[in-house]
Amino acid sequence: MDVWVQIFASGLTLGAMYAVSAIGLALVYGSLNMLNMSHGALMALGGYICFYAMTQLGLPALVGVAAAMVICGAVGLAIYLAAAQPMLRSVNFETQIFIATIGIGAILENVILRTFGPQPQPQSLNLTGAQIIGNVHIPNQNILILVVAIGLMVGLSLLLQRSRLGRAIRATAQNREAAQLMGVRVGVVYAQVLALSGGLAAISGIMVSSLSGLLPNMGGDPMLKAFIICVVAGLGNVYGTVGTAIVLGLLEAGAQYVLGVRYSFALLLLLVIVVLIWRPYGLFGRRQVVRL
Amino acid sequence: MTALLSLSGISCGYGANTVLRGISLDVPEGSLTAIIGPNGHGKTTLLRTISGLVPLTQGSMQFAGRAIQGRRPDEIVAAGIVHVPQGDLLFPEMTVLDNLQMGAYLPEAAKEMKTRLEEVFALLPKLKERGGQIASTLSGGERRMVGIGRGLMAGGKLLMLDEPSLGLAPIVIDQIYEVVWRLTESGRTILLVEENAARVADKAAQVALLDNGSFAWTGAGSELMVRPKILETYLGT
Repeated sequence: MDVWVQIFASGLTLGAMYAVSAIGLALVYGSLNMLNMSHGALMALGGYICFYAMTQLGLPALVGVAAAMVICGAVGLAIYLAAAQPMLRSVNFETQIFIATIGIGAILENVILRTFGPQPQPQSLNLTGAQIIGNVHIPNQNILILVVAIGLMVGLSLLLQRSRLGRAIRATAQNREAAQLMGVRVGVVYAQVLALSGGLAAISGIMVSSLSGLLPNMGGDPMLKAFIICVVAGLGNVYGTVGTAIVLGLLEAGAQYVLGVRYSFALLLLLVIVVLIWRPYGLFGRRQVVRL
Repeated sequence: MTALLSLSGISCGYGANTVLRGISLDVPEGSLTAIIGPNGHGKTTLLRTISGLVPLTQGSMQFAGRAIQGRRPDEIVAAGIVHVPQGDLLFPEMTVLDNLQMGAYLPEAAKEMKTRLEEVFALLPKLKERGGQIASTLSGGERRMVGIGRGLMAGGKLLMLDEPSLGLAPIVIDQIYEVVWRLTESGRTILLVEENAARVADKAAQVALLDNGSFAWTGAGSELMVRPKILETYLGT
């Protein structure tokens, strides 16, 4: 029994962490049909900025996190202005931006590599100690990740449901042209969504690196999982994405225990295949035709 | 009568295809102007051009004394032109109420949200009943009502309706037009696109017949019915 409580706790942390990075992707895809392949590099960038601010500049953790969010948000905005906006009117926007962001991701990763070097670094923002309940051992860092992730999701949900910006984001995602006819300036919404997604990438990068350390290419694996989550949930569906992330996190933790670490990712992919055969547009997705 | 909207010599198209050629039209304030004509001849494109969704290649547009060509769609809405698009284009995952509130997205309209909502519910009481329902689950007629209601939420000086009868059962069409006539009688300036000339002729102060990208005939609605030749030639009725 204790083992399963332990698995549940670590699965929940994993899921919450995946959710934060997947939401960023889902928001961007949902509003402008853009698969942001530089999301992983943005995560790494966020992790490194927090690390740099804390170790090199000696700033407090909160400032480090805020700096990472602001800078990654600005990079997200720059990606919109430099790459997405000029391509927006093109017929092959989805393919073009997909390829362009792969390039941007490679550039970012190499900038990180040149600046911080290839050797792994420990993330400075890392709580030590653990809560021990009976035989269950939950690291404080995991609790922090879970709390922050839940807080972020609640905040984001309020933003989407209650704020003017949130209404504009949802309207644009559901019908771009109708949103324009309501007076929404979609270009501005896109820019804000990319900045928001960059900020979320920074936080998830800090979370991931606090568990597995900093490496310039650390974003690749979590981004892949975030994509899987988005696809299973139905591309662009934010709430479905959160639910799917948590379920897949729990599943991964369970599979790691029952089948071993090496099979957990394979199981995840198998599940994706099954879901997509059953529902090609994802669990919560709308039926639509997307060519890529 | 002063023209609220005047189009002079506007042309536009999609890529190499020219859809509109040298369209000129004055929409007088406080009455209904109907654009009729067969499908695929540019009626919808004309409204989309006025809204700024389709860029024009030639000509100019004046609205309430200001040039509006080359403006973004949000600027056009802010200027007071409200476009209820063909096929409604509702926000499918939002409730009826959310859809209506999106209509009053711009700050000017948002200030009037409460009174506007009451006006819309007075005109379309069904929407009040359906307030919490998700838009994609509505019937065709209800969707049309949400589309019109959402447009009214924006306020505006000119209401453009693109084929409010499209795809509806005859009895529902009558209900929708009942609403359109009430809006007309209340003194709103309306620019209406309709395929069925007979439906609008007696209510429209002005009718413009769009044929193959330009106006083949423009005149009073009452005149249209006494000149069957026009209908016969262009609409085959």
